[in-house]
Amino acid sequence: MSARKLVAGLGACAVLLAAAGCGGSAPSGAAGAAGGRDTGPVKIGALHPVSGGLAVDGQQMRRGARMAVEAINAAGGIKALGGRKVELVTGDTQGKAEVGQSEAQRLISEGAVGIVGTYQSAVSTNVAVVTERNEVPFVMDVTASDEIFAHGYDYSFRVQPGSEVISAAAAKYLKAVSEEAGEPVKQVAFLHEQSDFGSGAAEAFAAAAGDLGIKVDPVISYDAATVSDLTAQITQVKASGADVLAIAGYYRDGLLAAKAINAVKPGLNAVWGVSNGAFDQPKFVADTGALGERYFSTNYHFDAQDPQTRELRAEYQRRYGAPMRTGAVLAYDAVQTIAAGVERAGSTDPLEVRDGIAGAEVEPLTVGSGPISFAPNGDNENALPVLMQVQDGKVVQVYPEDKAEAEPNYSVTWRS
Amino acid sequence: MSDTKNGGAATLDPATPESSPARRLLAAPDGTGALLRRAGVVGGLAVIAIAVALLKSGSGLVVWQSVVTGLLMGGLYGLIAMGLTLIFGVLDIVNFAHGALLAIAMFIAFGVVQGTGLHPYLTLLVAVPALFLIGAAVHRGLLSGTGGASLENQLLITLGLSLLLENGLLMFFGAEPKNVSLPGDFQFSLFGAVVAGGRLYAFLGALLIGAVLFWLLRRTRFGTAIRAVAANGQGAELVGVNVRRVHTLTFAIGTACAGAAAVLAAPLVTVTPTLGEQFNITAFVVVVLGGMGNVAGALVGGLLIGLVEQLTTIYMDGQSSLLGVFVVFLIVLFLRPQGLFGRRA
Repeated sequence: MSARKLVAGLGACAVLLAAAGCGGSAPSGAAGAAGGRDTGPVKIGALHPVSGGLAVDGQQMRRGARMAVEAINAAGGIKALGGRKVELVTGDTQGKAEVGQSEAQRLISEGAVGIVGTYQSAVSTNVAVVTERNEVPFVMDVTASDEIFAHGYDYSFRVQPGSEVISAAAAKYLKAVSEEAGEPVKQVAFLHEQSDFGSGAAEAFAAAAGDLGIKVDPVISYDAATVSDLTAQITQVKASGADVLAIAGYYRDGLLAAKAINAVKPGLNAVWGVSNGAFDQPKFVADTGALGERYFSTNYHFDAQDPQTRELRAEYQRRYGAPMRTGAVLAYDAVQTIAAGVERAGSTDPLEVRDGIAGAEVEPLTVGSGPISFAPNGDNENALPVLMQVQDGKVVQVYPEDKAEAEPNYSVTWRS
Repeated sequence: MSDTKNGGAATLDPATPESSPARRLLAAPDGTGALLRRAGVVGGLAVIAIAVALLKSGSGLVVWQSVVTGLLMGGLYGLIAMGLTLIFGVLDIVNFAHGALLAIAMFIAFGVVQGTGLHPYLTLLVAVPALFLIGAAVHRGLLSGTGGASLENQLLITLGLSLLLENGLLMFFGAEPKNVSLPGDFQFSLFGAVVAGGRLYAFLGALLIGAVLFWLLRRTRFGTAIRAVAANGQGAELVGVNVRRVHTLTFAIGTACAGAAAVLAAPLVTVTPTLGEQFNITAFVVVVLGGMGNVAGALVGGLLIGLVEQLTTIYMDGQSSLLGVFVVFLIVLFLRPQGLFGRRA
């Protein structure tokens, strides 16, 4: 009996897990790509992680897409095609890139004229390859990574503001808000999870902040999958003397950060979320109570000022008994965009739909500086990150001014 | 008490004291001198590691906080690994479902707190017996038949069980992360390092449960029976020990340890169905490091891994803390495959 037995066991375990991860059938080739496109309802594919660890968001987004389809049909379907109805065909990525890829292939074979998805950058990266090869438009609702748009793909579009746009806005808003409060920011400590998402956000933020004359130091990373205590990292922030802490991470680690900050009580003027997966969630407010009060978050967001968005969210709450998250509103926007492309094209031919989307202008229900309209690389040029803050147990929009529901409160609870 | 002085089970199995697994259950298989020497080496290396971290970071406070946090986390790792190492030492089962069982206990704690408003620590009264029973049922129902079967059989069963349990939790509770809050949580400063009350309780709880387990194994009739079965199942059976029962009870006790660890850890983490995975790998590393089957070694190994994890983040910014853990793991496997406190098999 030795360690060898255990090591052999761990190896066997790894093989088994890999095998278990390879589920999902992959109809090969695009032979049936055009099947059923010219008759019956116009099919739009929705690809999200509705099982696995991200199922909560995946379900939200699929429902958002479904509500968009229902709204289009209730308004008379696609008018340019004589009122043909729209149908949502759905796929489950399980949060895995290879499953997303095979599911995208399946939806295309079933005749989808366009696909919306997928919530995760890694999955979208793989799906974009499939849609490009099959020449079917892919409108991303949530996908932070900017890399996909550097490949020169013709069929990839994105509704949400990208990672770089959010990070640059976060730096700009921070400078403006801190100056208005009479305590201009001097030094920012950046805490981020270590994958592409967090490190990309940190790099983009440091570049933008540097241009504005803000020092970013130290930059501290952690492994979001295994971290169970951030006290030492927050102590490092405290020792650095930074006056603002910017954080890019996911939900679970965001909660850990809030607990550690409350324990260490560093000398900060503000906690500043950058594309943060926790600080603008109603659940974060409920889970942290007073700890999370006054946390800022720069991110994409549903337009809290727009009456149509309010109505949609109220309807979602009625139907599903939970608040509608921004991801679901973005999925709604993405479906609207594909439908607008079909409408403009007056055809279900993917190439013409693609051109229709490229030239479309769609009023979003998420915050934007104008209608959804795509730059040549496929990015929504009017996507606008917004600054939110937890105030009195609620997440409210506080900046820029024309989107603000309340004044920003540039202070932290443990120092006042 | 005469038999406990020289390793306990030795009298039951005088022919093979060298390889006796029963000896692995005890802290001092090599005699106190050798053990102290080895502990000294480990301690010395830890001091050097901390000194290097101090040079790298330049801030005494940051390193001190890392050491305190690492030891507090390490106690918890040790507690989780203790159950695992007990099961391994007596039954020779590598239990991959340990993490999933931990997650079950966390959801029990969450459910009870949510449903009744009890203090989270009081859910120990529910979670520990529940996990004891689940452990007994799992052993009786799934594992007792695999006694002579190949290692792969047990691996597949425990791995399959862990997938089943995790997905069951996902189906029943959903993927939404859950939060167990500790009422009246406090914190204090230990020479500048912040210590949260919940983490201190978890650490002390780990020490206490480790001591109880040690006492159970060394000072009770039942403990003697466990050691006898671990040493020589056939011999134990001949002198009237019900081996099957001891196996089931040992598996149940090991699982109950996971239950206790889960309740103590619940307020410190976000509770999700896949949470077990997070602790499983660390626990296995701790088990190997401490010497497989060595309960006290598991606690020391846990403290060491907690420390390594925190110091890694100082040494290598931007790397997973697991990297440092696995570097230490590999070094130990090369130099002492029987673990720091285990005996060569």
